[in-house]
Amino acid sequence: MIDLTPDVKLFNVELDDPSERDRFDYKPGQFAFLSAYGVGEAPFGIVSLASKKDGIEFAIRKVGTVTAALHDLEPGASVGIRGPHGNSFPMESFKGKNIHIIGGGIGFAPLRPVISYILDHRDDYGDLLILNAARTPADLCFASEFETWAASPRTRVEMTVDKGDTGWQGRVALAPDVVKELRLSPQNAIAITCGPPIMIRFTLVRLKELGFADDQIVTTLEQKMKCGIGKCARCNVGGTYICQDGPVFTLAQISRFIEQF
Amino acid sequence: MSQPIRDKARELLQTGKVNCVIGYERATDGITARPLFVYDVRDVDRLIFDRTCVHNLSRYLRDRRDKMTAIVAKPCDARAINMLLNEQQLDRQKLFIIGVVCQGVNERCWGQTDTRQQVRCQWCRQHVPPVYDFLVGEKPADEPPPAGFPDIEEFEKKSPAERRAFWEEQYRACIRCNACRHSCPGCYCQECFAENLDPAWVGIRIAPAESQIWNLVRAFHLSGRCVDCGACEQACPVNIPLMLLNRKLQKDGIKFFGFEPGLSAEAVPPFATFKKDESPGGEG
Amino acid sequence: MLFFSEKSLTAWLNHLMLDRTVLAPVRGTNDLVYFQSIASSEAVSVGSQNAALSPKDWFFPRSEAIMSFVTKDGKTQVIPATMEKDAVIFGVRPCDARAISLIDRPFRAEPVDALYQERRNRTTLVGIACVTVCQECFCTSMGSGPFDAKALDIMLTPVDSGFAVEVVTDKGKRLLEKAIVQDRELTLPKPPEVKTVPSAGVTEAMRRIFNNVYWDRVADRCIHCNICSFVCPCCYCFDVRDYKGKDKIERVRSWESCESALFTRAAGGHNPRPSKGARMRQRFAHKLLYFPDIFGELKCTGCGRCVKNCPVNIDIREIIHDVQKLARE
Repeated sequence: MIDLTPDVKLFNVELDDPSERDRFDYKPGQFAFLSAYGVGEAPFGIVSLASKKDGIEFAIRKVGTVTAALHDLEPGASVGIRGPHGNSFPMESFKGKNIHIIGGGIGFAPLRPVISYILDHRDDYGDLLILNAARTPADLCFASEFETWAASPRTRVEMTVDKGDTGWQGRVALAPDVVKELRLSPQNAIAITCGPPIMIRFTLVRLKELGFADDQIVTTLEQKMKCGIGKCARCNVGGTYICQDGPVFTLAQISRFIEQF
Repeated sequence: MSQPIRDKARELLQTGKVNCVIGYERATDGITARPLFVYDVRDVDRLIFDRTCVHNLSRYLRDRRDKMTAIVAKPCDARAINMLLNEQQLDRQKLFIIGVVCQGVNERCWGQTDTRQQVRCQWCRQHVPPVYDFLVGEKPADEPPPAGFPDIEEFEKKSPAERRAFWEEQYRACIRCNACRHSCPGCYCQECFAENLDPAWVGIRIAPAESQIWNLVRAFHLSGRCVDCGACEQACPVNIPLMLLNRKLQKDGIKFFGFEPGLSAEAVPPFATFKKDESPGGEG
Repeated sequence: MLFFSEKSLTAWLNHLMLDRTVLAPVRGTNDLVYFQSIASSEAVSVGSQNAALSPKDWFFPRSEAIMSFVTKDGKTQVIPATMEKDAVIFGVRPCDARAISLIDRPFRAEPVDALYQERRNRTTLVGIACVTVCQECFCTSMGSGPFDAKALDIMLTPVDSGFAVEVVTDKGKRLLEKAIVQDRELTLPKPPEVKTVPSAGVTEAMRRIFNNVYWDRVADRCIHCNICSFVCPCCYCFDVRDYKGKDKIERVRSWESCESALFTRAAGGHNPRPSKGARMRQRFAHKLLYFPDIFGELKCTGCGRCVKNCPVNIDIREIIHDVQKLARE
């Protein structure tokens, strides 16, 4: 367990049964349920790559009873895990394109496996732009990996915060404004974004202004889930279940949801 | 009774004095009643008032506290308005209360014509609402008798073992639909104690032990506040006699504190006050 | 035609109780009829009205521990719940039987709800046809009917001094092995007339008026309790939480309703469906639009329990009428 930010911890979960470890295969974008025994269960996006095989990683922000209980655990404690669930980012269809990754706060975490995948298969993808936004410098997730990422070929890492601190030398601006400033080109590109609802809303506006089509914009939705397998209807939006048909959707798909949140 | 209400509602909407009149209309069985929100003058003729109008409409007022609203209120409903005013949940300036003189209402059972009068009405002590802006109906000549609880006294004759068996059976029937809570004007907590996760006072398990905690604690949270409107018991889909619990606490409230909730918006309720000299009004 | 006399039906039920759980309508608390496990056939109360709560409670209990966790010596074991004996539900009306087959669509789809599946496989449904109809019934507009045997294993139709027996499935046939049924000339009663509701095309109508302010108007009087979803034989939303017991932790699943205000609220406070109108719409959209889009059938069987029990008379028949009318405008 590592502290990523004041309220986010990185958890590494290893399956008890070694034979299960190989069977637990997952793709970028999928999620799993973690049970804090006696307290409850909640879904979390998986932020590691299955190919790494040294544990399944989750970036968890402390917001409620289950997350608080998980944060209180000591390394080596026992948790339950159920998954993987959901669909995944269509990495095959992204091949050969320029990828713009725009993440805000804890929303950056589910985008990390996408970055890892692209860097593992660097030649299959075009230019990579990583824009990591947060409220303050301390809230930037995975900041320790930025240098490694920036050192990769044709890769650019940009950071921005809503409010700087005494040590911060970098940009102080809202993510959507940075998107506009960087003049991201929709030419042969895919924009993948995730973050707080308000950030996504305005980022989408900027991307559309720059000429991105609805099916060039991808996001991963967060919705209250209970069963994760399309039974309890809690994440039901129109004819879809976020847990089964998502959580990864293009803007084109989301615009077709009959109920707009 | 219905026509004066319709006329008043028409006047209030036409003059723009209110933007909504909350009253009653006939339900789809052609027998019972249901709440009606009238925004448009063309709908006022749907308003009715008779012995089937059992709902306590004041539970809808809190969500509309910033908007000018008229409401049709029986004496018990008006007591609830007083209770809510006392707890600063409503703005009196935004309310127009169409009070109705009431001689009692019947049990609500969708589709059934022959229902008898509600038990609480038999011992009702107010036929005229304690607060209103416009009164519909003739004020009765006689004063109603003081508060009486013969139904509770009858129940209290049961031995503790009998009472326990009675309530255990009722709690087994409870399906925790929360209709009692949602139909009650006094239950307005944004997050009910029953929804608390840590500690989980009740939890989501629908079982007798949990239902017992749910029903008893709800009754206690209403002690000194419950105005005897019976909305909870009418809403309950499994016919639990909830008024036995609530009226017992009302009886005790009068006995120990000399306090009847809802008679005025100013009267200070015993459970919401601290006085250095706590000599009770009743037996003590 | 096969015929069960009252006497042989009673004998058969008594025989079934020896090694199976038998549920039947029983007059219970506050004079309401419920499906309960019986130890004697005398307890059975099949009147002219349906039971207050549907038999979905058997397959999808209002509350149950779906699994437990026991920790010993640092290792945690997951113990799933199991079903004790085979079961029979006697006295199921066609509307309730059809409702169970509707719940089957999500629960028996991959990944299968194993507990539900086991109960379905090991429970036989013995139905009783409706010779009278209640004011709130509208089954014929919802894919069923008073004599509809489709979702049952055995169908009994009341005739003079007994019942006509229709064997619908092999499971039903096996259950009747020890029963004494005679072959007789029987005149079946005529199915009663059921009031209709304009359900044809309601899915498209719902789609058309999805954003209409109508939903806010209906929601004005809704008190957002759970009654409609709980008494409904085909609603299946649920909540899951863990509770610590004396020596184990139980994962409890309980009924819930999309009407309740906190249904979509996530930890951290964000609630994408906070308005009353949106929640009102969700219930009817799930029943009349989303479920048909996914599974091809309306998620309602016309049993009328919601109509009878809603404290403020939100009547699905009226909603369907209104939706169809609005869609035509």
